[in-house]
Amino acid sequence: MSDLDRQIEQLKRCEPLKESEVKALCLKAMEILVEESNVQRVDAPVTICGDIHGQFYDMKELFKVGGDCPKTSYLFLGDFVDRGYYSVETFLLLLALKVRYPDRITLIRGNHESRQITQVYGFYDECLRKYGSVNVWRYCTDIFDYMSLSALIENKVFSVHGGLSPAISTLDQIRTIDRKQEVPHDGAMCDLLWSDPEDIVDGWGLSPRGAGFLFGGSVVTSFNHSNNIDYICRAHQLVMEGYKWMFRNQIVTVWSAPNYCYRCGNVAAILELDENLNKQFRVFDAAPPESRGAPAKNPAPDYFL
Amino acid sequence: MGAQEKSQANSNPLQRVKVYRLNDDGKWDDQGTGHVTVDYLERSEELGLYVIDEEDSETLLLHRITPDDIYRKQEDTIISWRDPEFSTELALSFQETSGCSYIWDHICNVQRSLHFSTLNSEAFQSMNSELRELPAVEHSTLPLILKTMSESGIADQMRLTELILNDQDFFRKLMDVFRICEDLENIDGLHMIFKIVRGIIMLNSPQIFEKIFGDELIMDVIGSLEYDPEISHIQHHRIFLKEHVVFKEAIPIRDPHVLSKIHQTYRVGYLKDVVLARVLDEGTVANLNSIIHGNNAVVVSLLKDDNTFIQELFARLRSPATSAESKKNLVYFLHEFCSLSKSLQMVQQLRLFRYEMTEAVCIKSRILSFVAISVPSIFDIIADTLQNEDKKIVLTGTDILILFLNQDPNLLRSYAVRQEGIQLLGLLVKGMITDFGDDMHCQFLEILRSLLDSYTLSGAQRDNIIEIFYEKHLGQLIDVITASCPNEVVPPSSGKSSGFGERVDTRNGTKPEILSNICELLCFCVLHHPYRIKCNFLLDNVIEKVLTLTRRKEKYLVVAAVRFVRTILSCHDEHLINHFVKNNLLKPIVDAFVSNGDRYNLLNSAILELFEYIRKENLKSLLKYIVDSFWNELVKFEHLTSIQSLKVKYEQCLEQCGAKSTGNILDPRKRNDERALEKEEEDYFNEDSDEEDTASASHTQKPQAQPVSSNGVAAGYPSLCPRSSGLVDYDDDEDDEDYRPPPKKQLETPEEDEGTIESLGMKRKLPSKDKEPELVKKQQLGKHSKSRESVFAALCSTLSHAVLPSTKTATAVHATPVDGNKGSTEESHQENDPVILRTCSDNESTSGEENHKEKDPAGPKSCSDCLHSTSENGQMIGDDGPLIPPPKSSPEMTARIAEGMAFFGGAEPKGG
Repeated sequence: MSDLDRQIEQLKRCEPLKESEVKALCLKAMEILVEESNVQRVDAPVTICGDIHGQFYDMKELFKVGGDCPKTSYLFLGDFVDRGYYSVETFLLLLALKVRYPDRITLIRGNHESRQITQVYGFYDECLRKYGSVNVWRYCTDIFDYMSLSALIENKVFSVHGGLSPAISTLDQIRTIDRKQEVPHDGAMCDLLWSDPEDIVDGWGLSPRGAGFLFGGSVVTSFNHSNNIDYICRAHQLVMEGYKWMFRNQIVTVWSAPNYCYRCGNVAAILELDENLNKQFRVFDAAPPESRGAPAKNPAPDYFL
Repeated sequence: MGAQEKSQANSNPLQRVKVYRLNDDGKWDDQGTGHVTVDYLERSEELGLYVIDEEDSETLLLHRITPDDIYRKQEDTIISWRDPEFSTELALSFQETSGCSYIWDHICNVQRSLHFSTLNSEAFQSMNSELRELPAVEHSTLPLILKTMSESGIADQMRLTELILNDQDFFRKLMDVFRICEDLENIDGLHMIFKIVRGIIMLNSPQIFEKIFGDELIMDVIGSLEYDPEISHIQHHRIFLKEHVVFKEAIPIRDPHVLSKIHQTYRVGYLKDVVLARVLDEGTVANLNSIIHGNNAVVVSLLKDDNTFIQELFARLRSPATSAESKKNLVYFLHEFCSLSKSLQMVQQLRLFRYEMTEAVCIKSRILSFVAISVPSIFDIIADTLQNEDKKIVLTGTDILILFLNQDPNLLRSYAVRQEGIQLLGLLVKGMITDFGDDMHCQFLEILRSLLDSYTLSGAQRDNIIEIFYEKHLGQLIDVITASCPNEVVPPSSGKSSGFGERVDTRNGTKPEILSNICELLCFCVLHHPYRIKCNFLLDNVIEKVLTLTRRKEKYLVVAAVRFVRTILSCHDEHLINHFVKNNLLKPIVDAFVSNGDRYNLLNSAILELFEYIRKENLKSLLKYIVDSFWNELVKFEHLTSIQSLKVKYEQCLEQCGAKSTGNILDPRKRNDERALEKEEEDYFNEDSDEEDTASASHTQKPQAQPVSSNGVAAGYPSLCPRSSGLVDYDDDEDDEDYRPPPKKQLETPEEDEGTIESLGMKRKLPSKDKEPELVKKQQLGKHSKSRESVFAALCSTLSHAVLPSTKTATAVHATPVDGNKGSTEESHQENDPVILRTCSDNESTSGEENHKEKDPAGPKSCSDCLHSTSENGQMIGDDGPLIPPPKSSPEMTARIAEGMAFFGGAEPKGG
């Protein structure tokens, strides 16, 4: 069994890797991710997943429902970290799978894959707590900078974490974003990761989130039309039923963190597309408490104070 | 100690009291002012009154509340009694009447319960009919106790807590039963006890915690939690704690109280993180954490106050006689000590800080408590640590530095500029370029960034550190790059196979992540020290050297090099931009782009973005340079919108320049007044006028915006006139002409070129051929000294302008160029340059920079531009340290983001 396979097995038990292993993994991942496009081409069949937010055991449920990687090909729409208790293990497992099966799993960037946001919503603290230093956080956030911004499935389904940007009317315009940077506070890259579709908005509106925009049905219609795509698949917003269509099936939100923050009481969903792009939503619930394994933290073997 | 901890929570004005004592003369002596609480006396079940001095947090008064009727309440604000221990009258004078009655009620309650407990608690029955009492703890009553516990509601839980606390023997008995069950291997009993103990912990009562985490009980409590009925196998927590965990004493700790706290802290942490990690709710975790924090505070402050302890620690760390192994432990200990100090609560820190002040040590803000004893010496020790052969120790040393930086970056900064601190900077730079094998060592970059941060450093400090860094270490970093990047690129066989493998492999073993860190630091420097960077970059061909990174096979290093260029361009610095053009510095970038072929990857996007930036920012000299020099190669990518637009923009510029130059001539005043602002355009005018001229010579159908005759430009010197009187030194012109490989290429293969640009270029070349001999002569004048001296000249030309009568004259000359003036300006340049060259080299780079600051009229502009673009690009570079609050983002933006966060941070999460 290769080191990587062993690490994947270890991560599947929710045991974090050693610092040195994280470093090696990140460097490998960097070489793979740097070769990806801002609009990464993805083949069907593929299973699309929304926000995970460090809910490791719920992600294991996701894999139970959707099938293991690499047997099932996956597209994750970002927000792997923050809020849940296991951001480190969650992200590292996905990253290890990416390095091990680069063509079977695609990870695109969410608004939480950012230095600023992770310092507020938990990933930073979790790294500090689990490793005693923020080196792992630093490596992981460096990796975030290399992650693709969106995906295009069989030229027909455009997938992105947040939504559209007034600066982007064609997919081609995404090409000239130098994505290797912290998520900016405005501009196309920011919008792709932060925007939300909104029923009552006609055209573009201010987002209450403070970054990105709200966009209405007409924006989606014209985007889909001019880029010749069937619909947009995005995540970023909690939907109690796990998924939600908007604007006459022109855009769908997929949410994959059941019982979000361990208290929202929502179900989660993933979207399976077969080779003909036929859609099937698979809805799943949070992992039962007893399946949440033994605590991940290994006690320090010695102490001075 | 316990009292001190408690004092933190009780700074309520309601509890503010003065303590009085009746002296032998019958007068009331003021004993001091403090805060009163009713709390358990240490290591007993009895309640007492504590008064903690608000000045020094010492215990002013400790009085065990007795059931006897000795207390009197007077005038709503005074409680007095005859104290049996002091055998005198004591009184508490309250600031608030409500505070007085609150404490009075408390005293009465305590007295009542003291009476009741002696009366077998009968009175409690009336208070809670549901839950009157707990059965005596025996094996047979375990089910009943468990039932009582699991069925109690919130209100009952409070009652339950009281009952448990009131039963002095509850835990002792429970643990007795536990040991019996364990001996008898009575699994049912053990499972019940597990549930009972877990339930008790979940009651989340600090008083209960205080009991069960005491030295006598804690191991049994943890033992009882080994029998989780939901887990099939028995856990072995006690064996782990007793046999596997090692308590290391780097320096012997003599105080048994401290030792007991240290062990308790570890065990409570273990209970929280391992034993009950899955079941604890947030509230309980918070309380357990506060126990841990409290203990840490006590331990750290006691050790800190123990001067001999700290002295011994430092002495041993410094002593050459200390063995490597024990030094290692000492460093680890120091690290743990520092991180604990950091986690002290603010209150505690402030309190500790006050002590330090009396020791008259130069600390200006809250700091790691013990540091005050000797700030330099701890950094000396760390410097020592950084030279340790064991790399783990070196990294621990940097971790300690990071802790200090988090507390107060100025401590380290002020140390780094001292004589004895200079080596630290060197060690950090060395650490950054050292191979740490599998270990992460991004701390070095982190610390260096903090030391070099121009936004947060104060004046003298900053200049000093930056001075030293550029003087001593920049070259070192650049050398690492040049030493690890191949000299030559194997010419790519134009996209037939992957451009990836064709790049030459690394020459030495420098880890790519080190190169990437260097590049990141350089980008940081560009944004933070625009002047410095300019000087150094222009002088030593730094940019060219950094760009050898594009020859590395790791694509992320090529991307890093692109990022570096992009960062420099974002400064909008004329000289640097001209430096690019002059030295053909975008060639490696374009080469990388071309050999990347049609792959749509990060490299492709990064370079396209760079082109887009040049186009959108209208950096005309670059635009012209790129299209003129590389169009042959770029034409293959014309299907890409950005490449197309680049050319369109180029063409527009060519067209516009005519109209613009007319406008300029019509309105010379504007040019004078808005010189700085329009410098860029002016340059464009300068740069392209020759082209326009030559072009117009052959394209007569084009509007002759600037007839040769009217501005008196001689055909042979199309470029000299405006340039020489501009801010940009004329060496650039030479180089412009001098640098001509792509046009030459075009000359060689003219049949390939069909686009208008090419034909323009062609035509431009034709007349230029005539002037070739003259130019060559001119070039030869400066040729040998070219790269270095021309850079000097670039710096100095601005000086020479200052030497000239006035910049305005020069501008005027420029606006209405006259042949004679032009010549003399040029001459004065040539005369001045050597002199200034000497000045520059004499004073080394410093003077160069200062001169620039003072004399370069474009200086302030490019500076503010730079700072401005920094605020925009700080994020892009990805350099926002988490440890230092990033000052880069504009306040407005930060506010926007904060708004977003507030929105998320609400009670109801709305999604990521």
